[in-house]
Formats: sequence, structure tokens, C-alpha cells
Amino acid sequence: MSVLLEMIQNLLSRPVTILYPREKVPVPDTFRGRVAISDDKCIGCSKCSLICPAQVIRMIEGPRDVEFKGKNIARKKRPQVKLFQCIRCGLCERHCPTGAIHLAPEFGGSGTDREVVIT
Amino acid sequence: MPEVVIPIGPQHPALKEPVNFRIIADGEKIVRLELNLSYNHRGIEKAAEQRNFIRVLPLLERVCGICSHSHATCFAKGIEEIMGLEIPPRARYIRTIIAELERMHSHLLWLGVAAHEIGFNTLFMWTWRDREAVQDTLEEMSGNRVHYNMNEIGGVRCDLTPAQIEAALLRLPNLEERIKKYREMVDSEETLLIRFRGVGSMSREEALNYGAVGPTARASGVDYDVRRDDPYLAYAEVPWNVVTDTRGDVYGRTRVRIGELWESSQIVRFCLENIPRGPIRVDAPKNAPKGEILSRYEAPRGELAHYIRTNGTDKVERIDIRTPTLANWTSVAVCLVNKNLADIPVIVAAIDPCLSCTSRMVVVNNERRTNGAGAPGVQITSDPKNRQNRM
Repeated sequence: MSVLLEMIQNLLSRPVTILYPREKVPVPDTFRGRVAISDDKCIGCSKCSLICPAQVIRMIEGPRDVEFKGKNIARKKRPQVKLFQCIRCGLCERHCPTGAIHLAPEFGGSGTDREVVIT
Repeated sequence: MPEVVIPIGPQHPALKEPVNFRIIADGEKIVRLELNLSYNHRGIEKAAEQRNFIRVLPLLERVCGICSHSHATCFAKGIEEIMGLEIPPRARYIRTIIAELERMHSHLLWLGVAAHEIGFNTLFMWTWRDREAVQDTLEEMSGNRVHYNMNEIGGVRCDLTPAQIEAALLRLPNLEERIKKYREMVDSEETLLIRFRGVGSMSREEALNYGAVGPTARASGVDYDVRRDDPYLAYAEVPWNVVTDTRGDVYGRTRVRIGELWESSQIVRFCLENIPRGPIRVDAPKNAPKGEILSRYEAPRGELAHYIRTNGTDKVERIDIRTPTLANWTSVAVCLVNKNLADIPVIVAAIDPCLSCTSRMVVVNNERRTNGAGAPGVQITSDPKNRQNRM
């Protein structure tokens, strides 16, 4: 009887699914999506590269003058992330002293090319 | 009638994960079940030995896609105990909330799978729909639906905001209502009663003998739950009850899981309403002193154990993971003896097997067979290739 009641209730209610792409599921602020790097904030400390569990962050040449805590720093390196090998654990974001590397709310995506990088 | 051998798997349309069953049947009755596990060996324990305590947690989460928080918490809890760290109360509560939400989504998933196995796909759709509410809560809190990555040694990675707590509390009444409905359905719906009652019965003695754990054992009247008997996180401070049943069949296991769903929802509610203020982590030392520990944790499927040995560095010297599915396999093989062939899917599904988790763990020592593996009618072996890897 409880099953029949449930069925009738479901018949009279709206579908639980959404009409994508007209409607979209709201993405929470905390969502760990595609990794993104703000080059102007990066001080080249390499912490993200050392902490990355999947070891997909490599420090490459990227000299630039950046300001950190009121001091000017001559940065030598910047991170390069292998996009589709990233497991989006958020450890780089957690340990980055300037918030330069972070996980954006965009969908992380997937691909077959393991060497696709973002800088 | 002569006995026939029916091989199923490792690759089979009815199997979600690779496992090889060799069912020895006499007509419709099962005489013996031979299991061949470990087709999914991923070498996680060996890989864990090469990563420091910060980098190892995301790896251990990937032991299981359903109880990912269980593995990370079990490991973090063990390492913190070796280090002599006490995590802040707020971190304990956050870990408890995630753990119980994980139990809720796991049990709702199981209820759907069990319904699917008996051909009751309508219930499968309903439970998975309601599971989405739990998944959404987890995603809001942690940023991911599956691998929450909330733990770190010394506390949790991120805090819960008042808005997140409020959103979770708003979702709970509907979930509680749904759990009540499922309890009602399971008790009254003929489709479920016919296929669950008296199927896969296991007595209390058998459950103890063959080392069953979790809801499988509790459904046979074994009053044992690590959360109560060896309290960790915030369980000692939260009012809750261990759910047991005396039937021992699939129906009993369903009732235990639905009871646990209710208890989990109440634990989550209590923790959300009474979460203490304060820091969410303490600074953990880089290295752990030399030591060894057996960290126990009540995962949704049963007691999970991580044996951890440290050697004074920032990595573990050895980690050995005993997943609840491994402990339950022997009992399922016993349950199947003398049952009908058609009951296999639902009896196997009743332990909520997770084969990839188990695939790292089977150790076979033919000379020292003293437990259930040597019981009549039961034979569990691992893939010979993997067995060599472990030796």
C-alpha cells in the first residue's frame, strides 16, 4: 500500500530531474573544479608542486616581479599543471600562501591526452 | 543428480566488479561456492608507503569510492594516535558528520541495489533519488560528491559555515521522512518480504564463527559496533543506539540498515546542532615516532581495520588494510550452501560487497587455515598472480 501511495504521489509531482541545458544544477561555492592559476599572485614558492599527491604540478621558468606581504620578490618559477591528471584534491589550494593556485567552480573536464597542461 | 559447476565471472554482464564465482550445484541447490577474488589489485598499500602523511590521504580515499572518508579517517586516526595528537572538538564533530552522511548515502545506495537485484527497480530509483540529497550535502560541505578529502593529520581541511549547517539541517526532515517510509515499505511490501524473508539466513553462532562484521553480523544478533565498543571521533558524546536484529536473513539486514539510516540522520542532526566552536586543526609534526597501531573504524559495511607501522619518518613503513567486505565473504559463502541458485544475487548483495576494496587484501596460507576459510563448503582464493606479489 505504501508503494502505491508513493507511486500516486510521484505521478502528481514534478520530475526530480532537471531540463538540462535549459536548467542547470547550482554549483556550490566549495566545489572543487578545474585547477586555475593566477599568475600575478604566484610567488614561485613550489609548495604546490611538493604537496601534490598525484605529482602533476611542475615548476617551470617564469621570471616575474611580484609583491608579497608588502615586499617585492623576483620570482623565478611558476607552476604548470597537467590538467587531466589532476585529482582535484585541493591540497595545492590549501597550502598556497597567496591563493594563486586554486580550484575554480568550472567543471574539471576529462580527456584522453594526459599531457594537456595549464599554467 | 550429479553436481555441476557453474562459473560466473570475472567478466560477466551481471557483475558490477570483477570476481569469479564457481558455484557447485546439485540441481537447483547450491552445494558449495568457490570464490576467486583479487582481479582489481591496485597496489595502493605499496604506493602508500612511498608518500608522506599529507600526500597519502587522497590516495587512501581512493581505496573505495563509497566509503572514501572511512579509509582516510581510519588512517588519520591511527597516525594521530601514534603522534599523540588530540584533534580539536570541532574537527571531531565535522569528521563525524561526514562519516554519518557517508553511511547514509552508502545504505541508501545498498537499499537501491538490493531492490534492483530482486527486480524491484522502482524502489531502486526512489532510494537513489533520495541519496542525491545526501550527496548534495556532502558536496556543499566538502566540494566533492565522492572523494571529500576532508581529513588531514591533526584535523580537517575545511570548516563548516553556518550557511552549510543550515542547508544540511533543512534537508534532514525530508530525509527522515523518507527513511520512515522505507521502513514502512520494507515491513509491508509483499515483493520485498517474499524475496528477503528467510533468504540467506545466518545464525549468531555462524556470524561469530566466520567473522562477519557490520550490518551483516548485527542482523544475526551480534551486538557489536566499533563506534560504541571502541569509541572514536564524537560518538561517545552523541546519543545513539546500535541497531541489531535477530532474523539473520536478508530481511534482517535490510531492517538493520534502515535502522542505521535513522540513527545516522539523528547523529548528523545532533552534531550539526551542537557543533562546538573553535579551531578545526592542530599543527601536526612532519614525522611520526616509531610505532605500530591497529586503527579500527566502523565503515558503512562493517569494521574496517588499518594496521599501520611507522619508523620515525614522514612515511609509513607498512600499511595493511582489512576491509569489511573481506571479513564478510566467508559468511556469504556459508549462507549460500543449500540455497536456491536464484537467491545468489540477493544474498551476495546483502553484504554490500565492494570488490575493488577487497582486492588488495586476500592472504591465503593453506597451512594455517584455522578460520572460516577452512569451513566445509567454503573456499576462498586469490588470484595467483597477485598472491605472488604479496609474498
